[in-house]
Amino acid sequence: MKEIRFRLIIIIGALALSLYLLYPTYQDYQNNKEVGLKLESLSDSIKKRNPGISSIELKEIIQNKKDSILASNPDYKSARDKRIKLGLDLQGGMYLVMEVNTAKLLERLAKDPDEQFKQLLSEAEKESRLSEENVVTILARKMQTKGIRMSRYFGSIREDDADIQKRLLEQESDAVTRAIEIISNRVNQYGVSEPSIQKQGSRRIIVELPGISREEEAKRLLQGRALLEFKLLKDPEFAIPIMNRIDEVLAAKDSTSKTTVDTTKQLTEAEFAKQHPFFALARLVDPQGRIADAYVKKSDREVLNNLLSRPEVVKVIPDNVEFIYEAKPEIAEGVEYYRMYMVNKQAELTGGVIVDAQANIDPMTSAPIVTMQMNSEGAREWARITGSNVGKRCAIVMDGQAYSAPTIQNKITGGNSQISGIPNLDEAKLLEIVLKAGALPAPIDIIEERTVGPSLGQDSISQGFNSMWLGYLIVAIFMIVYYKKAGTMADIGVIFTILLILGILAGFQGTLTLPGIAGIVLTMGMAVDANVLIYERIREELATGKTVKAAVESGFKHSMSAIFDSNITTFFTGVILYQFGSGPIQGFALTLMIGIAASLFSALVLVRVMFDFMISKGLKIQVG
Amino acid sequence: MRLFENLNIDFMRKRNFFYLISSVVIILGALSIIFRGLQFGIDFKGGSEIAIEFSNPIEIGQIRTEVENIGLGNVEVKTFGGSTGILLRTELQEIPQSILPKVKSKIETIISNSFPGVEKKIIDSTFNSITYSFANDSISLAVSERLNKAGFQTTELNEEETKNAIVVRLGISDWIKETLTEKFANNPFTVLKEEKVGPKIGQELKRDAVIAVFLSLIVILIYLGFRFKFIFAVGAVAALFHDVLITLGIFSVLYGVIPGFNLEITTSVVAAFLTLVGYSINDTVVVFDRVREYLKIHKTLPLEETMNRAINKTMSRTIITGLTTLLTVIVLMIFGGEVLKGFAFALFIGILTGTYSSIFVASAFVLEVASRTNRKVQF
Repeated sequence: MKEIRFRLIIIIGALALSLYLLYPTYQDYQNNKEVGLKLESLSDSIKKRNPGISSIELKEIIQNKKDSILASNPDYKSARDKRIKLGLDLQGGMYLVMEVNTAKLLERLAKDPDEQFKQLLSEAEKESRLSEENVVTILARKMQTKGIRMSRYFGSIREDDADIQKRLLEQESDAVTRAIEIISNRVNQYGVSEPSIQKQGSRRIIVELPGISREEEAKRLLQGRALLEFKLLKDPEFAIPIMNRIDEVLAAKDSTSKTTVDTTKQLTEAEFAKQHPFFALARLVDPQGRIADAYVKKSDREVLNNLLSRPEVVKVIPDNVEFIYEAKPEIAEGVEYYRMYMVNKQAELTGGVIVDAQANIDPMTSAPIVTMQMNSEGAREWARITGSNVGKRCAIVMDGQAYSAPTIQNKITGGNSQISGIPNLDEAKLLEIVLKAGALPAPIDIIEERTVGPSLGQDSISQGFNSMWLGYLIVAIFMIVYYKKAGTMADIGVIFTILLILGILAGFQGTLTLPGIAGIVLTMGMAVDANVLIYERIREELATGKTVKAAVESGFKHSMSAIFDSNITTFFTGVILYQFGSGPIQGFALTLMIGIAASLFSALVLVRVMFDFMISKGLKIQVG
Repeated sequence: MRLFENLNIDFMRKRNFFYLISSVVIILGALSIIFRGLQFGIDFKGGSEIAIEFSNPIEIGQIRTEVENIGLGNVEVKTFGGSTGILLRTELQEIPQSILPKVKSKIETIISNSFPGVEKKIIDSTFNSITYSFANDSISLAVSERLNKAGFQTTELNEEETKNAIVVRLGISDWIKETLTEKFANNPFTVLKEEKVGPKIGQELKRDAVIAVFLSLIVILIYLGFRFKFIFAVGAVAALFHDVLITLGIFSVLYGVIPGFNLEITTSVVAAFLTLVGYSINDTVVVFDRVREYLKIHKTLPLEETMNRAINKTMSRTIITGLTTLLTVIVLMIFGGEVLKGFAFALFIGILTGTYSSIFVASAFVLEVASRTNRKVQF
């Protein structure tokens, strides 16, 4: 009994852990149902109130509402974060592989490109399509054979070819970094839930955007140039009275209708929220009002935007100003806050004038700084702007989101500016990337594009789960018929295996794809293999006249090496598949590998314990 | 229940017969691969693919005639899922030069029909997009929405110098969508999936797939080489080769033969190959494991006899496991939906050949080499 107890504890522990890890998935499923019902009734009521509404508009409203509901309740979010992630093929979404167009980049970087250069470049590009080599390397080789030095087009005359080549490759990887920043900025702004943007190799970006409802628009986001602008912040003397007015308008409105404010807060806060609906969401950074920046909780952004777009609010905001957010949140006590600024709608200057930007450490103060250079036209404008706005703040805005809002210290002539007061070098680097995005747009091509519509995803989920329980049923019945009681034990083992697979998947944030589900179904068929091996062996041992106890003992012992060898080789192929596969296939490899481990555990530990228990109790064991 | 108790078949004696069967199947498959070729999916071939679902059942022939004349050359049309789903595919990735003017004039007709007298200006035109600029924001938005409805993908530009402008993408799938929206106005469709794979990706995927299959064979060879005598590892890998070859051959032979089965080589089929490699090796290992055990016990018995005993003794397990796995694969094939059909089919064939080869090929190979070299195989 004692030896069973220890294994029993392990089994119960594993079971409890799987259930614990799977609970958020269940919770999320329930939440989705709940939210779905709410949205359905909302959509019905909108349709009733406004029968002429177009389906696109309706979809938009519902989607916004859904986002804000999901964002508003932290329970929803935490369940969502911990549930089993579904792959794009199951939940619908877009998968894109983008590659920086090095040839285009080189063309832009080259000084005085002549016909010969263009000729060589296009040859190099053609060649690169069929080979693994980089365009830069091919071009360098081509120029070498023609006896042309690279410094004729790139860099300075003193540098040798190798240096230039190295620097061009750096530029290429910079372009990818820039593109990633631009894309993530836009994607975040757009509110795609759980986007994934990854760099692959030196020049590729993989973008995954789950949820497809706004797919057409999402694709637009990813292409086109980033718009970098310099926008002047409004003085607090101007901004705060306007904010007060917005607050008043909203308070007046809200006193007659239901508020959207979270009611779980303390009474005083609730009262404050009632009286100051605007400031409750957008808290001034400086209560004295010396600067007009406000903090907005990430979850409140959607709500605040909705409030600000109400017609009566729009009326009190002057035409020439707008609110913008910082691109990256600041985190205080675990909550993400976005800084919000009021800026001139009209940009003072756009980023096309920037020639270069560089993040550095200031040798004097050893604080991080970013320097930027403008072309002569930009420098003239910049001198005028800075000259007449000394002491004011100017936001650096990319695609509508602010990255920094430094104060203009003095008139800057000559086009060389320096931005200081940056908290760390990482942020300085980010600012450099952003500033360059205006200067040197990264030419990015979409080389692979896969979109799965939500209805296909839904179908796949139900087909996957149908196959799962049907597969289980068939295998289970077969095992019971063939091995009787021992078969039943194997069937319990399979259920345990599936729970373990799903639990591990949830715990390690793995992604479940349709091939992944297929992997689970397949595992059910193969999981009984270990049991079959053992049972067959036990039968053989019994046939030699051993006692049940001895037969079970040697049955397990003798089948061990076969089980081990065969599973480890399958596991290897799983690893290889995971390495070389992409997306959905990786999902398959993952469930296959986890499945092997889990089924071995069930067969060698769980089923063994059941056998041992029955033997120790003197119960009859049938192996068919 | 017991199906294979006390089996005693002299498998090794009959090995020449099995060589014949295997050779015939492999040769037929190879001939088919040479003359009929293998059909690769879009992953490997590159191209554009779009799957749509109509609201009412649709005649596939009707679609075929409609897309024949839209200038995209050879467009494959297949059913996708039930009677309302259609899959269209072409190897092209961009609209060919020759029909660009047609597409452009179509766009302009739509604009001028829906918004008579609207002023527009083409400010940029490339091989895969046109940029129009309009008098103001609301017009450009309306036009954009209209074109969207017609199946085109549009982007509103918000850059300073190009305000009120929209970019209309001229893509293969846009053109197909536009044509079908117009032709089947009373049977609207939704897009199930859309894929576009560049030739470079296709090349890479092909390379990766080949590397993955070979790498797994090598890894298995090395591992088994350590665990068993090297000759056994070679025999096991030979059996795996045999399985992959036969499955590939059957894919080639049966392509287009079974209705409703799309036997193309896609990435998921390659995944199935790797799985069958992993699965089939299980069977072989189980047999070899028993051979190893018997070699230790019955040192004097000839290898042929040992192998026969091992195979007969493990036969029950081999068949039962094959059967349970086969059952789940059949479930996947029937209920797993369109996406998993090819995958499940590859596994179906793979499990059959895998089970067969571990009995008849792997051991026979070892025996053959051992008897030729007249060496005594031992552990």
